[in-house]
Amino acid sequence: MPSEQTLSADVVIVGSGVAGSSIANELARAGISVIVLEAGPRVDRQHFVENFRNLENKPSYQGPFPAVPWARHPPNQITPNDYLHTSGPNAEAYQQVYLRMMGGTTWHWAGCAWRYLPSDFELKTRYGQGRDWALKYEDLEPFYYQAEVMMGVCGPDPAKEDLGSPRKQPYPMEALPISYAAQQFRKLIDEKTPWRVVHEPQARNTRPYDSRPTCEGHNNCMPICPIGAMYNGSYSVYHAEAAGAKFIPNAVVYKIERDSANKRVTGVQYYDPDKNSHRVTGKYFVIAAHCIETAKLLLVSADEQSPDGVANSSGHVGRNMMDHTGVQVTFISGDKALWPGRGPLETNVIDNFRDGDWRNERGAYLVHMVDDNQVDFATQMAISKGYVGRELEEQIRYLSSHTVRLFSHNEALPDPDNRLTLSKTNKDILGIPHPDVYYKLPEYTVKSCEHTRKVFKELIGLMHGTDEEWTPGYFPQDHPSGSTIMGTDPKDSVVDGHCRTHDHENLFIASSSVFSTVGTGNITLTVAALALRVADTLKKELLHG
Amino acid sequence: MKKDWPCVPVNLQNVSPNAMRMARLMRMSRRDMLMTGMGAAVTYGVASGIAGAEETQPSPASGADPVATQFMAVSRLLTDRPTLDLRIGNAIYAGIVQSSADRQAQISKLHDLMGSGQFTSASAFAAAAEKADPALKDVIHDIMTGWYRGVADGKVVVYRSALMFDITKDAIYPKTYATGGPFYWTTQPPEVDRPTGHPALSPSKFVVEPT
Repeated sequence: MPSEQTLSADVVIVGSGVAGSSIANELARAGISVIVLEAGPRVDRQHFVENFRNLENKPSYQGPFPAVPWARHPPNQITPNDYLHTSGPNAEAYQQVYLRMMGGTTWHWAGCAWRYLPSDFELKTRYGQGRDWALKYEDLEPFYYQAEVMMGVCGPDPAKEDLGSPRKQPYPMEALPISYAAQQFRKLIDEKTPWRVVHEPQARNTRPYDSRPTCEGHNNCMPICPIGAMYNGSYSVYHAEAAGAKFIPNAVVYKIERDSANKRVTGVQYYDPDKNSHRVTGKYFVIAAHCIETAKLLLVSADEQSPDGVANSSGHVGRNMMDHTGVQVTFISGDKALWPGRGPLETNVIDNFRDGDWRNERGAYLVHMVDDNQVDFATQMAISKGYVGRELEEQIRYLSSHTVRLFSHNEALPDPDNRLTLSKTNKDILGIPHPDVYYKLPEYTVKSCEHTRKVFKELIGLMHGTDEEWTPGYFPQDHPSGSTIMGTDPKDSVVDGHCRTHDHENLFIASSSVFSTVGTGNITLTVAALALRVADTLKKELLHG
Repeated sequence: MKKDWPCVPVNLQNVSPNAMRMARLMRMSRRDMLMTGMGAAVTYGVASGIAGAEETQPSPASGADPVATQFMAVSRLLTDRPTLDLRIGNAIYAGIVQSSADRQAQISKLHDLMGSGQFTSASAFAAAAEKADPALKDVIHDIMTGWYRGVADGKVVVYRSALMFDITKDAIYPKTYATGGPFYWTTQPPEVDRPTGHPALSPSKFVVEPT
């Protein structure tokens, strides 16, 4: 039943994650009226902290964040899945998780705030692979910095440690001092390999920043920072609300309306949890609903005018699904005690494999030595080995102090056959189809993963490692991208270099779904930079015509 | 459409796994336990110290279930510890008994075996138990998991007070409970010698839980 009252704003944004909330904040501060429609509920940190402490399977990052029935998200990375249905030769490698709630998926990110390399935007030109973006690194550089200031990113002095992405300004905060374990790892890499370990740029406070405290090293960045020392999208929600933006939770957008010429979006319709329908009109619309939900919404909105979905004259909505597929191994170091897990979760990276001439044939990657508290893992392992009593306690101490976990982000390529479609058999309680994704790892990524395995084996040897536990196959790194790909040609892309849809002049997309390639660094900072660039475009058009 | 769900605000705790677990624990508490210690330890998450805890402090559950007393005796031997926290023990016991119909009888069997020999260590006792009945390995795993991980019947009984954190507290904090202040992590933690002890039980497949 449609609501009597129609809401209206200059800009209507779908999704309240880092992209949607940061656009809302920028626009509201410029005096532009904004309505943000969030499918999930308004939430707060302490419930998630409590849920985490009571969670048996502590590494389950989705575990503390139960979905509401009207805004389902994947409950876990297990295939088959209750919500995200993957298929194809590498179905398991695309079993992504994300969150549908106020603030979005950054509730459980690790704060890794990488800029992409200039080459990541020009993969086709430089290496003959994949695509080029419809923008250059230089176009995004000011917005990268704006995003770093917004989130509060700490990072190394480029004069001492150049991460390969040219900067006009220093990081807003000094680099986070790395843990003893990471120091020892870096020493080993320096002395025994041609590679290097760098400080990971992180949206984590190394001093009080934005009314949030300095990181205290609770080692729980994922799934939930207990003290708010790490940025997440909820802080941009709070700032945007303070500036006057209106956020509506539990508003599940299911329809994007257009004018009779199908050139301009005129409104969106959403269901509340009782399936009452509401309409919201505006001058501009931004879909910022995460890579998977954004493509799903465009496809769900198919009608007579756009039988293949909104903004989909190219047929590329839902195609080109990418991720940083990972290789992961856990082993027991034979060297001195490291005690990983003292401090934040991800602080250091081997970055030598992020770029090189070999990218003409295999994908790039980066390597994390994960600084993860291993006490629970060690306890489970020691019990399974058959230890009890005093001997068990000795084992727990030894394994906790010597367990090392390595994982990689390996680069995918945009392949139109890797495709998101609407489920024909599974629908949520509102009648909206679940997402299906077909996924086959590009050979480019497979080769990259093979290279990573060799490097990991070398590292295990250097650390005199035993008890290797390789995560079977390929695992998803929850960095989905590409489903509304950016390009200059409307025939084979969905948005232009400003994230404006080719088909609808007042419809923008702010999400990793616009990525033309996926590089190696975690995707969030690039999502935020692109979103802030969308905000800049909207401000120019709304305030100056 | 039926109005099953409130619109705003949503109380996320009503749909959280924590809430569901708590509801189940409370039902279990009413049915099986009915003692004050369980309620204090589980419902409010009181993290009582392990070291030096007096077993006689809380109201014992043994009046209701004699096997609960046997469980504590078996646990002391299997952990090589002279004292264990009775409130936590009662909650672990309740979880283990809940998890399988065989567990209560197996705990009694372990207790009988304990009385039949002069076992001076957890390892000697566990090895003898598995030899006497291979099925006892599983209940010993449950008991170890209960005390050291703070988990019974797949649910968290205690987190911060699990023994795994007691024996590593000179080096590391349980996640979300760091108290060392900013940058404590840059300092060198204690060295740990390679253990010399041997497993008491036959090895089991180590299955990492999927995430």
